Amino acid sequence: MSIVLPARYHCPFLPVIFGLLLIFNGCRSPAGDRPPGYLVVGIESYPLRLDPRYSTDANSVRVGHLIYDSLLRSDERSVLRRQLAEDWRMLDDRTYLFELRKDVKFHDGRPLTAADVKFTYESILSPDSLSPKRGPLKPLRAVEQSGAYQLRFHLHGAHAPFVEQFTLGIVPAGSSAAVDSEHRPPPGSGAFRVEALQSGEKVTLRANLDYWEGRPRLAGLVFKNVPDAMVRVLEFKQGAIDFMQNDLEPDMLPWLEKNTGADIEMHQGTTFQYIGVNLTHPILRRHKVRQAIACAIDRDAIIRHLLNDLVTEAGGLLSPHNWAYDGGARRWPYDPERAKRLLDEAGYPDPDGDGPLARFRLSFKTTNIDLRRRLAETFKEQLMRVGIEIELRSYEWGTFFSDVKRGNFHLYSLAWVGIEDPDVYYQIFHSTAVPPDGDNRGRYNNPELDRLLERGRATLDRTERQRIYGEVQRLLAEDLPYIPLWWWKNVIVKKPGLRGFVPYPDGDLISLKKARLG
Amino acid sequence: MKRFLLQRLLLFLPTLLGAVSLVFVLIHLIPGDPVEVMLGETASAADKEALRRSLGFDRPLAAQYRAFLVNLVSGDLGRSLYEPASVGEIIRSRLPATLQLALCAMIAALLISFPLATLAAIRRGGWIDRAALTFSLLGLSLPNFWLGPLLMIVFSIELGWTPVSGRGGFDHLVLPAITLGLGMSAILVRILRASLLQVIHQDYVQTARAKGLPEKQIWLKHVLRNALLSVVTIMSLQFGGLLAGSLITETIFSWPGIGRLTVQAIQTRDYPLVQGCVLVIAISYVLINFATDLLYKLIDPRVSYGD
Repeated sequence: MSIVLPARYHCPFLPVIFGLLLIFNGCRSPAGDRPPGYLVVGIESYPLRLDPRYSTDANSVRVGHLIYDSLLRSDERSVLRRQLAEDWRMLDDRTYLFELRKDVKFHDGRPLTAADVKFTYESILSPDSLSPKRGPLKPLRAVEQSGAYQLRFHLHGAHAPFVEQFTLGIVPAGSSAAVDSEHRPPPGSGAFRVEALQSGEKVTLRANLDYWEGRPRLAGLVFKNVPDAMVRVLEFKQGAIDFMQNDLEPDMLPWLEKNTGADIEMHQGTTFQYIGVNLTHPILRRHKVRQAIACAIDRDAIIRHLLNDLVTEAGGLLSPHNWAYDGGARRWPYDPERAKRLLDEAGYPDPDGDGPLARFRLSFKTTNIDLRRRLAETFKEQLMRVGIEIELRSYEWGTFFSDVKRGNFHLYSLAWVGIEDPDVYYQIFHSTAVPPDGDNRGRYNNPELDRLLERGRATLDRTERQRIYGEVQRLLAEDLPYIPLWWWKNVIVKKPGLRGFVPYPDGDLISLKKARLG
Repeated sequence: MKRFLLQRLLLFLPTLLGAVSLVFVLIHLIPGDPVEVMLGETASAADKEALRRSLGFDRPLAAQYRAFLVNLVSGDLGRSLYEPASVGEIIRSRLPATLQLALCAMIAALLISFPLATLAAIRRGGWIDRAALTFSLLGLSLPNFWLGPLLMIVFSIELGWTPVSGRGGFDHLVLPAITLGLGMSAILVRILRASLLQVIHQDYVQTARAKGLPEKQIWLKHVLRNALLSVVTIMSLQFGGLLAGSLITETIFSWPGIGRLTVQAIQTRDYPLVQGCVLVIAISYVLINFATDLLYKLIDPRVSYGD
């Protein structure tokens, strides 16, 4: 017997709930299977701002390089090559002359001229721009348009690292800092144009068929935001993602190798991991203590067992890829006995030999990311073996970074990403670069280094600069204001059919414009 | 009833004001400077100061708070410090995802818990009852960061029935809704079962049986309806939590909801966005509480609000 319920006994909310559900589902664009010929790239965080005048997060910069061309662009060996520039030269030590290509058009069809380049730089220099790129452009005095496709950059004085600023993406003259109603950034002239932006979810780019360098082989790119590394791996396994670079846990790679047909490549990267030291601390001020810490850390064991060879041991900030790298700088291999001797010499003898008492106690700050905490635990264990007791403190990123900037730490660990010009040493170690005027967070003060760094940025001859920065590296390797740990490798996971992708040391994805699906 | 509605509406404003004020103070108290994050490593101190001035962060906290309230009254939640959009636009773009997931999780929880709890109460002590209690125990014990990936591996990777993550069609919704709904249904099964068992021994149920009413009608009309009050309370609390966003589930399933947005805004010290998100969450809670009070009256006409 079936029961027919009077209407009032039906749940009155279910139809409402289902109705709402349908409405919300209806509000969505149709479920997005990838368009044919598109490559799906899995990324760990959504690009915050694609306009090259404002982009600072790594994914905005990498996606931006595919949308916006610049006067010059680094190649896979970190050498600056011409892109929009047909020719460029230095007229004197403070003037650069650029001749632009005449066959370049923005995605909206307008030709790219010197007026657009001039506008892009001037819009950043404007005090109202609030652009994070304004600081690096400080040495620029004026941009002078000397023809429809010719312009001159006048600097205040000789400043060798300024050439890096010619890699800034160019936007059309008149582009507002504000975005249109669909949050689209201004059009670029690059190999791909913005097709769709789904906030927090994905960025879809379509191939620019009129690209001056020839149309890209891929029909388009989808940058899919999948914050969880394990889920990105599962998406790859399912075939929903074709390409991933970095941001993978070390123990995921063996699984990927075994369970998917992925092509996995590892290449030397430029991301440098270090232990930062507060040089105003009475114990850490002694350079023998810093040398002892460097000797007490068994990097080799950490690299093999905890990091699955995803890194290579580092001797300093610049990786062997960098033109200014000096392989002769001193290294501090694992040697606990030597570490103990150095601590004795520094005036911190072990109070009870093999007993439990420590020579001294320091705090070590890190973020609350799981891998960072595990690494910090390992440092703690290894430093305790030579008599240095460590108190670990892990914080969420904002709090941690604020403490580091204010110099409120003994030891901490962080990484430098995307190092190209060695002038970065100025920003990190010059005595005037203490926050907020720079990143000398450990308050390092060495007049000899200051002189070298000042000479380095004012010297335009590359061989001479190489010699100066060689000296800088040797000095820092002796003095150890940072304890070098390792350079992260770039790990690329791609589906086997993808051809033509060339890895870049800084993780740039620009070569996707020449990649193709086999 | 009218008086009740009026009272509730009057309480609405101080509750929201309290929530946003508390968050305003807290977000400014925690360490971290949005200007540092916005301008990056290479900006000069003068540029940072200029930006701080242009954003109004150089003013005393009381003046900032006053300006925030004035803007709020005029419906202006401000602009995000990082994304090139207004706070209102960003929240509007994420809210449908959160509502969609919350509703589906709630439906999943109801579809699982009501039949299970009712069968468990009918067959008290039997295998169904034991199975329901075991399910409830498991549902409460399994964390979402474990259950979510487990469901992905089984249903997306091994069986290939659903996408792994992301937002799209209905198939994208199934796994995150079940992940969230299972935990909720575990609680509901326990509460509803206990409530049903309490009600079936009431005199009016015995009277209904003595009158010869069919058993199904007794359960639906007399038992289930009277057992609903306690369940509605729990459901409203749970639903409020879902609307505030479930950070873990949203992260695992790459679901672009309010929870992830709020945490990201806190991490980057995006003050206007944090305040906007909290305001929306507070409004959700207040509205759900309001709806729950109305539901009480609908379920049990004896409930009185002093009219």
